Amino acid sequence: MAEGTIALLSFVLTLMVFSYVLGDLPLVGHLYRTAVYIFVGMSAAFAAIVAYESVILPYLQDIQNPETSWTALGNSTDVAIFLTALLFGLLLLMKPIASLSWLTNGALAVVIVVSAASAVVGGLSGTLIPLIVATAAVPDGLATDFQALTNTLLVFVGTVTALFYFQWQARRDDDGAPVQSPLSRGLRNVGKIFIVTALGAIYATTMLTALTILAERIGFVFQFGS
Amino acid sequence: MSRTQRLGIAFSAFIAFAVGVITTLSLLLGDRPELYAEFAGAPAFARLMSLPAAIMVRLVAITSAVTIVIGISNLLYVHLGRVVRGAFFSIVMIASFALTIWWYWSKGGDTSLLAAVQVPIESALAALLFLSMVQGGARVLNKRADIWGLLFVTVLVVVLLGTVPIESLGPVRAWSDWLMEIPVSAGARAILLGIALGTVVTGVRVLLGQDRSYRG
Repeated sequence: MAEGTIALLSFVLTLMVFSYVLGDLPLVGHLYRTAVYIFVGMSAAFAAIVAYESVILPYLQDIQNPETSWTALGNSTDVAIFLTALLFGLLLLMKPIASLSWLTNGALAVVIVVSAASAVVGGLSGTLIPLIVATAAVPDGLATDFQALTNTLLVFVGTVTALFYFQWQARRDDDGAPVQSPLSRGLRNVGKIFIVTALGAIYATTMLTALTILAERIGFVFQFGS
Repeated sequence: MSRTQRLGIAFSAFIAFAVGVITTLSLLLGDRPELYAEFAGAPAFARLMSLPAAIMVRLVAITSAVTIVIGISNLLYVHLGRVVRGAFFSIVMIASFALTIWWYWSKGGDTSLLAAVQVPIESALAALLFLSMVQGGARVLNKRADIWGLLFVTVLVVVLLGTVPIESLGPVRAWSDWLMEIPVSAGARAILLGIALGTVVTGVRVLLGQDRSYRG
């Protein structure tokens, strides 16, 4: 596609999306929705293309070559795995048929359980262990550097109290109403300070990203218009 | 509940447990020859241990790709039904889908439509997000006029001002850097740890058969 055509299409579509700020006016309101439906159709098409070209097609080509086998168990095993995956897809398509639920649930169980196993191992080795090690790590020269000591302690206390904030513990008083101990309430409030601060900063950085994109789009519209 | 249904549930639970345990063990113990260093043929054994997980992950990857295609087919089916009734936006959606597929195949994998249509719409939508976020920030002060709302907006303003390249705002920038380095880092770590703990706990519940969402 020519550069000029790409720029013209970009200009028109950007204005169509920006028409959202004008509100639900007759005709103008349709421009935004039209752009969104174009976006949905195109995203669905690209998702289908990527699913086919990046996942299904490479495996299909792989099993057509009897000389190669990624499992080292022979080409026939690869073919069996590919056909099993297609069968699973077919079974998931038949999920609304209640009489076949014992079979379709089995296929769904495999998909969910393998995803859960990957999530458990990934969560442990990729997030939990590295973060715990990083939080508990003591930097070099901490005994002599007071500021580093304070900062390290603050990060540790902040992480622990913020985690404590997610745990709600209370006992019942004589009337049966839940009552938190002053220590628990205090720790949760300290944790809340860190969580609200983190959320505020994350909100600010997201705003900055959106502002950068907005400036780029406005710049493009003015540049194209001139 | 009939006997067949009970057998079906037991069958699904058994499959889930067996596949889950084998995949988890294979992911944890496979492809790590250092674990079997004292045995002869440790690399070959480590490869063999990783094979069940590799097979299951590939199986699920292909199944997921097939389910994406099935989901998109369902989307098209629903909108084709509306096209018959003359729904304008469904016609736009179907036309956009058909044009993209036709363009991609007829032009030998050309993705210039992505640059001309998809990227501008995505960028413009992301830009609109800024306006919504400004409105959301203002509403925090209106609806939650307490110490936490005030703290949220204060941090927001400090971090935003910290990025402005004006010399007189140097102290604010230093404060913003400190905020990002200490309290934000601690809070974000706790949130990430909370997400990871939740993921691991939910995953273990699924693996042990306590959470059987696949029964449908």
